[in-house]
Amino acid sequence: MKFELLQPRSLQEALEMKKNYGDKARVLAGGTDLLVLLKDQKLTAEAVMSLAGVRDLNFIRYEDGRGATLGALATHGGVAASPIIQQKFPDLAEACSQVGAVQIQNLGTVGGNLCNASPAADVAPPFLLMDAVLILASARGERRVSIHDFFQGPRRTVLQADEILKEIFVPEVPGRRGATYLKLGRRKAMEIAIVGIGVAIHLNGSDQVVSECRIAMGSVAPTPMRARRGEEILRNQEVRDGLIEEVAVVAAEEASPISDVRASREYRLDMIRVLCRRAARVALARARGNKEEGL
Amino acid sequence: MKKIPVTLKVNGESYDLMIAPYRTLLDVLREEIQLTGTKKGCDVGDCGACTVLLNGKPVNSCLVLAATAQDAEIMTIEGLAQKGKLHPLQEAFVKEGAVQCGFCTPGILISLKALLDKNPAPTMEEVKTAMAGNLCRCTGYSKMFKAVESVTSGLGR
Repeated sequence: MKFELLQPRSLQEALEMKKNYGDKARVLAGGTDLLVLLKDQKLTAEAVMSLAGVRDLNFIRYEDGRGATLGALATHGGVAASPIIQQKFPDLAEACSQVGAVQIQNLGTVGGNLCNASPAADVAPPFLLMDAVLILASARGERRVSIHDFFQGPRRTVLQADEILKEIFVPEVPGRRGATYLKLGRRKAMEIAIVGIGVAIHLNGSDQVVSECRIAMGSVAPTPMRARRGEEILRNQEVRDGLIEEVAVVAAEEASPISDVRASREYRLDMIRVLCRRAARVALARARGNKEEGL
Repeated sequence: MKKIPVTLKVNGESYDLMIAPYRTLLDVLREEIQLTGTKKGCDVGDCGACTVLLNGKPVNSCLVLAATAQDAEIMTIEGLAQKGKLHPLQEAFVKEGAVQCGFCTPGILISLKALLDKNPAPTMEEVKTAMAGNLCRCTGYSKMFKAVESVTSGLGR
């Protein structure tokens, strides 16, 4: 592992450097993925640009009625411990608290997790559930990209050579939102998800009729994805026996998991159904304001 | 590659160093400052043997570039005992025999210190979560749990 180290002191300086270096400079946020790849020589870099000196990108802001903005350098630990995130976006808090373990959560950032673009990225499903908007910055200016357009394949995103992910905006939804993220691994910590499922249920008025259901899945396709057909089954429907089961079955049909060292394709398909069912029940209970039920 | 000047503040002391920019905090602690209490296990963030406190928070020092830790307060296992007196956790580990081969011990003590600093009376579940990023391949966890309990149960009395 050998490279030149760039240490910008501000976002402006970082964007200038990225303009000059382009693809030659890898952006280093928490380092929990990038440094491992560089050490294993799965990746080489002429230069590494550490954002450690760009302090104003580590924040969590919430505006009532509008939503939350997270700086790209907000750490998993910081997000998981944030009372407002726990209250408004429990699925995101849960995802962050299941990344690696304490030491990794203190280093790793939500922006890094997205830009690394692993199909198993834990924070991707919650952000997909929230229709998050990513603010990409370059010396040329800023642009807003929907999370749904951000991932292009395993470890590939729409980020241009001179761009840096600056912020993630999460709009607040009307009505009552209940959501959760469930992660399956062989143990509770230090795992890459075999399957990760996020479900959000929105209620408007009645406790019985689901106004919207959103399902996001990780580790089951080349990129984290939404299960749109499964979602449709619950939209504007009264919850009844068998409906959640049907949603889970259809969601699994939308996935295209592979067999790898962590699990077989068949096992993953089975687990999508199990986790989807469980997550939908938890999300529904939360939207209704009930204590945890249904697991 | 050209070395760069880096000043690190470790256990309250300042160290002016000339190091290659790609060296990790772990390597610099061990090889430049000779603080070899911090162990190198996997070197990719899986085992937790290299855990140190960075501004009070436990991190894997193998995943931090030393040059980016310039402005931080770093604490290693060598900083745990104060004025020649062992930290209560260290005392408890000795008393309970919570050390087998000892390789994971520094990292685990640092993780536990961080936990007790912000939560002096943790539940066993919280202790386990705090230790989840530290592997003990002697599998000697139960005596460690006992040692932690012996420190925390004295609190609040």
